[in-house]
Amino acid sequence: MTSHVPLLSVRDLTVVFGSGSHAVSAVAGISFDIFPGETLGLVGESGCGKSTTGKALMKIVAPTSGSIELDGIDVTRQKGRALRNARSRMQMIFQDPISSLNPRRRIKDIVAEPLDCWKSVVGVERDDLVADLLNKVGIDPAIYGNRYARQFSGGQCQRISIARSLAMRPKLLICDEMVSALDVSVQAQILNLLQDLKEEYGLTLLFIAHDLAVVKNVSDRVAVMYLGKICEIGPADNLYHSPAHPYTKALLGAALEADPDSPVHGEVLQGEPPSPLDPPSGCRFRTRCPYATELCANEEPQPREIAPGHQVACHFPLVP
Amino acid sequence: MSPDSRHLLEVDQLSTTFATPHGLLPAVSEVSFTLQEDETIGIVGESGSGKTVLARTIMGLQPMTNIQVEGSVLINGFQVVGASDPEKRKHWGTDVAMVFQDPMTSLNPVMRIGKQIDETLRVRLGMSRQSAKARAIELLTLVGIPSSTERYDAFPGELSGGMRQRVVIATALACSPKLLLADEPTTGLDVTIQAQILNLLGELQQRLHMSVVLITHDLGVVATRTSRLIVMYAGRVVEIGETRDIFAHHRMPYTRALLDSSPRISNPSHTRLLAIPGRPPNLLNLPNGCSFAPRCSFATDQCHNERPPLTPSSEPGHSFACWNPLPISTRSEMS
Repeated sequence: MTSHVPLLSVRDLTVVFGSGSHAVSAVAGISFDIFPGETLGLVGESGCGKSTTGKALMKIVAPTSGSIELDGIDVTRQKGRALRNARSRMQMIFQDPISSLNPRRRIKDIVAEPLDCWKSVVGVERDDLVADLLNKVGIDPAIYGNRYARQFSGGQCQRISIARSLAMRPKLLICDEMVSALDVSVQAQILNLLQDLKEEYGLTLLFIAHDLAVVKNVSDRVAVMYLGKICEIGPADNLYHSPAHPYTKALLGAALEADPDSPVHGEVLQGEPPSPLDPPSGCRFRTRCPYATELCANEEPQPREIAPGHQVACHFPLVP
Repeated sequence: MSPDSRHLLEVDQLSTTFATPHGLLPAVSEVSFTLQEDETIGIVGESGSGKTVLARTIMGLQPMTNIQVEGSVLINGFQVVGASDPEKRKHWGTDVAMVFQDPMTSLNPVMRIGKQIDETLRVRLGMSRQSAKARAIELLTLVGIPSSTERYDAFPGELSGGMRQRVVIATALACSPKLLLADEPTTGLDVTIQAQILNLLGELQQRLHMSVVLITHDLGVVATRTSRLIVMYAGRVVEIGETRDIFAHHRMPYTRALLDSSPRISNPSHTRLLAIPGRPPNLLNLPNGCSFAPRCSFATDQCHNERPPLTPSSEPGHSFACWNPLPISTRSEMS
């Protein structure tokens, strides 16, 4: 069960690429918490800043401002060995399973790499741990351990990535579109595996994806991003059942269900997201929002709580 | 043109085999189906199931060498298999056109989008420069591109992915084809843009009286937008029928597995997915019997040794290829 002290606490995080008139705020001031043992889903369309958020947490891209506290330690202020220490407690799994592994290395060495860097476990113990990790993700180390990464399919590569990410026993796992390149039957295998390992290792997950059905399936809570801001965050079932932000509603309305009786979306969100180089004033969604008024153009809506744990940044939230 | 053909498209026992350095690769094997005018049929399958090769074979777009096509493809009476390029070129655009998956690479990046539509009109319909331009602007408006007169001069790089796919659709529709092959037209687009493009295709299909073959890996895309559905696995049709029948009364365990392993928004969070083990077979080394048998929980000796033929089910037009089919209406109690 989740406790009330967050494992990860993000406050006013911004990531700006470029400078001057070419500055793009990929992440424009977002705050959220992830509690131990829970899965927070992060959804949004391409360009909304969800991957940049994930990378900023790992300091793969440098946050421009704001704080990221993991277990009470502000990662943004860490450098050198302290930063490496903090990073070992969070690990990331990337979208493209094939390019995230070195094709010319043996998979047992790929999985052992973090252990070898830290020299935390050596010798026979190290080999046993690697074998155990590969077993856990469903790859027989005796048969496949010596094979090269290039000899594996996408689904198997993603299993190897998971094994590698678990080697340091991280507390937080950041999964960035980890199943979007996989076929649906393989995707289901990986999602089930992730759920099993989460329980076994007591992991906390940040699950970043564009697929609303996948996110709902794995998440306890879900945050919806649009143009660098979080517009709604809340418990998964609530948020999907009664979305309060017009954008969340539009996203859900556009999603396709594998069911011939599901309603065909008559009312589809028009237009495309504006350029993050020149975001609209006030609420960033107002240019596509059917309910936008003058207030939305003048004043940026602040997140407010409409139900326990359910926050929305909208002047006119939809009532369930 | 045969006068008795009520079907716009007739595919009969179509097989496409590639000769590779590792042996013969049967990408599409013995596929047969027909399509009526104004009808939309969906083809679903995972990667490597042969959907794209099937579409390209129907279109007549294959490499010149190391390929063997058998069977027959009749589009509006025209036999595509064995036709020469000049013959095929005559019916591309006017009889059949194709929308490809990647709108980034199916347009010429250094040619203004208007010119790419013009080209088709001038070459195929012999239009003058001016009337082709007027028609191209009309087409851009038709596919929902705002301020189409100005966008006529835009380069593909200046447009977003969704806009580019609209341009690709406009190019395909330029000569009013009777049959449109759409190969994963919305894969790679955001959900709100995907909904826009699918709505556009549906509208155009009705307005222009086209027949559409919609190829996708996403069961959600075909569920509400096709009247009939083909499920492919390892290059073969494993189930075919009315879309509703396939969703509600599928008989082939693979179809069931595809449906069960897709996460759904209507399910509560943390619903355990029913995943099938393994992955699609290597086409260079197919099992003797049913290609799905190694992953199938119902497989028997017969499945491993003998290939199941397409067998009619109780509903009209519904067939499946399985020795041990699921009992009839297994899912009806769920809906």
